[in-house]
Amino acid sequence: MRQVAIYGKGGIGKSTTTQNLTAGLTELGKKVMVVGCDPKADSTRLLLNGLAQKTVLDTLREEGEIDDLSYIVKEGFGGTRCVESGGPEPGVGCAGRGIITSIGMLEDLGAYTDELDYVFYDVLGDVVCGGFAMPIREGKAQEIYIVASGEMMALYAANNICKGIQKYAVKGGVRLGGIICNSRKVDRERDLLEAFAKELGSQLIYFVPRDNEVQRAEIQKKTVIDHNPEHPQAQEYRNLAQAIEDNQMFVIPKPMTQERLEEILTEYGLFDDLKETASEENKTIRIAG
Amino acid sequence: MSSTIEQPRFTCALGAYESVVAIKRGVPILHSGPGCGGKVGQLIAQGEGYAGGSTAPCTNAEEQDVVFGGEKKLRSVIENSFKVIDGDLYVVITGCTAAITGDDIGAIVGEFQEEDKPIVYLEAGGFKSNNYVAHERLINAIVDQYVDKFAEDKEVEKGLVNVFASVPYQDPFWNGNLEGLKRILEGIGLKVNILFGEESEGVKEWLTIPKAEFNILVGPWVGLNAVKHLKRLYGTPYIQFPYLPVGAVETSRFLRQVAEFAGLDPEQSEKYIKKEEGKYYAHIDKMASFMLEFRYGIPRRVYTVADASTSIGFSKFLLNELGIIPGTQNIVDDIPEKFQEAVKKEYEDISNLGRQRDIEVRFDPDAGKAQEVIEEDAKNYPDKRILLLGSAWEKGLASKLKADLLIVSVPVQYRLIMNCGYTGYEGGLRTIEDIYDRVLATYR
Repeated sequence: MRQVAIYGKGGIGKSTTTQNLTAGLTELGKKVMVVGCDPKADSTRLLLNGLAQKTVLDTLREEGEIDDLSYIVKEGFGGTRCVESGGPEPGVGCAGRGIITSIGMLEDLGAYTDELDYVFYDVLGDVVCGGFAMPIREGKAQEIYIVASGEMMALYAANNICKGIQKYAVKGGVRLGGIICNSRKVDRERDLLEAFAKELGSQLIYFVPRDNEVQRAEIQKKTVIDHNPEHPQAQEYRNLAQAIEDNQMFVIPKPMTQERLEEILTEYGLFDDLKETASEENKTIRIAG
Repeated sequence: MSSTIEQPRFTCALGAYESVVAIKRGVPILHSGPGCGGKVGQLIAQGEGYAGGSTAPCTNAEEQDVVFGGEKKLRSVIENSFKVIDGDLYVVITGCTAAITGDDIGAIVGEFQEEDKPIVYLEAGGFKSNNYVAHERLINAIVDQYVDKFAEDKEVEKGLVNVFASVPYQDPFWNGNLEGLKRILEGIGLKVNILFGEESEGVKEWLTIPKAEFNILVGPWVGLNAVKHLKRLYGTPYIQFPYLPVGAVETSRFLRQVAEFAGLDPEQSEKYIKKEEGKYYAHIDKMASFMLEFRYGIPRRVYTVADASTSIGFSKFLLNELGIIPGTQNIVDDIPEKFQEAVKKEYEDISNLGRQRDIEVRFDPDAGKAQEVIEEDAKNYPDKRILLLGSAWEKGLASKLKADLLIVSVPVQYRLIMNCGYTGYEGGLRTIEDIYDRVLATYR
């Protein structure tokens, strides 16, 4: 069983990527469980064709205790097992502890069965406290993929996440499997992501191009493979699934300094426009002077 | 600072709930994990008071209250506490669980405060401080959230004073000590709000805190933030006497300082002092022959493992009035560094003969270490009978050193304390009685 955690900046497309990738894996005949670790509980919507699932914490709140997995594990597309950790209402309680409680409960109830090939943890964008690092603690996920794009804040977040992974990697067995680019169509995005991943000592494992078919499928509460299996974007996700299935490169990442990160960004042109504007302004000032 | 502290003699901030128990008809409501209150109580409290011990309402916060927040449960525990416990003042005290989860205690208690219920709250996550500091913060919380709101009359009343001295239960003789202070201060003509214990009038008395002409702080540090707060709030000046006055010399010194600060008629206060000293020395006089005959029977050297106020108070008395020499003084109340110099100075000037003394004073909450130090030092005085002022946990050391142990600090265990106190003139006599009692009990 490979346990995989997906991290990345909030809004980068972790849940979308995870579910589409999961759909691809099921087509390869893999048995997958997806554990949503976000209080918003939207990590399994596309696999379940809707948001109807009751979260672990909702069930716990209402029932007091859970003695049967069927309360909280629902079957989704391609036989995937779907679980949502859920969380307290916004602004109260401790969502991080909620994730620890949920994962502990899944273990106690025997959700991790031998026939599973993959368990995916789809984690909230920011690892704000210990609870959100739960999936990468000892005995949980051994591999991590970070979803990023060519935008600066996405890379900044990815680099920060690597700092967290490094801490846990030194103590335990967790490794970075690679960066997944969820393209935002930024200039020279692939080059930038490749350079960024290389600097971390890792790889760009797959470049998922931007395509509105993803949007259309989401509106239908489906993954692209489910919604339109013939579409080229469906093939992209199949390729991503294959890349992860075949992946052999697992490393302890080497997070970079802020300066180095900015250097790479500059090198790949992100700041070129800014520079030109600045020198134009300088010229104007000089002429005026 | 050492990484391990053996035998700490105080509790986490939650221990402030014992101060609530010490207010007449005060009801602590704990928002903490199950067992927190019990642990605190076991270490420092003897007896349950009005609503302490197993009577104290508690949310018994568990995992669900962490994940979803414990606010609903707290609200229901407060509502029901009002229904089933007849109290005058309710104080919600939160422990670590609620503090880490971030429950909005102010908002929940605020709902009841808006209905003019006598309720206040104190956030006392164990990691915030120890119970000494939390005791000060409790006083300030009650003043801010209850006294200031409900006190109808805040006009200064001449001769009225608030006294802040012993921390209830943390000082096992708090009730007797406070009674003793009240008695002597009334003796020189003051009207005294003693605030905690049987000699207090409970919340009725608390409501007159703003009316005090001045505040009296007894002790080197605990309570300073309370009197400073009252100075800011009501402009009440304060006088600080840095240790518990035990016996005639120190009690008279204390009373004269207070009388001067208050601008009392010296004739009246001196009249009281003379009368009390007369009685005090008459009792000693009666025993003079015995005490003279027995002078080689009593201890020659005293070691303390106690808080600063108690240690200085007893040491001054023992040296100047009984001739027992202070050995290593172990101050285990975690007194902040900025107050330590002043404590050392008290020890340098301890002798009434005007000669400076070089006494080893150690500031370290590690009382296990203190025992080691005492054992080592005692080896230098093999022919001296030793008096130990400490807690029940010094019993083993006492038997090792064949020392006489007088328990003056928590945990107490081996004696029952109701209203025994060591402050004032009577407290001095009581100290003499108790030391001789320990010594004579060893004779066959």
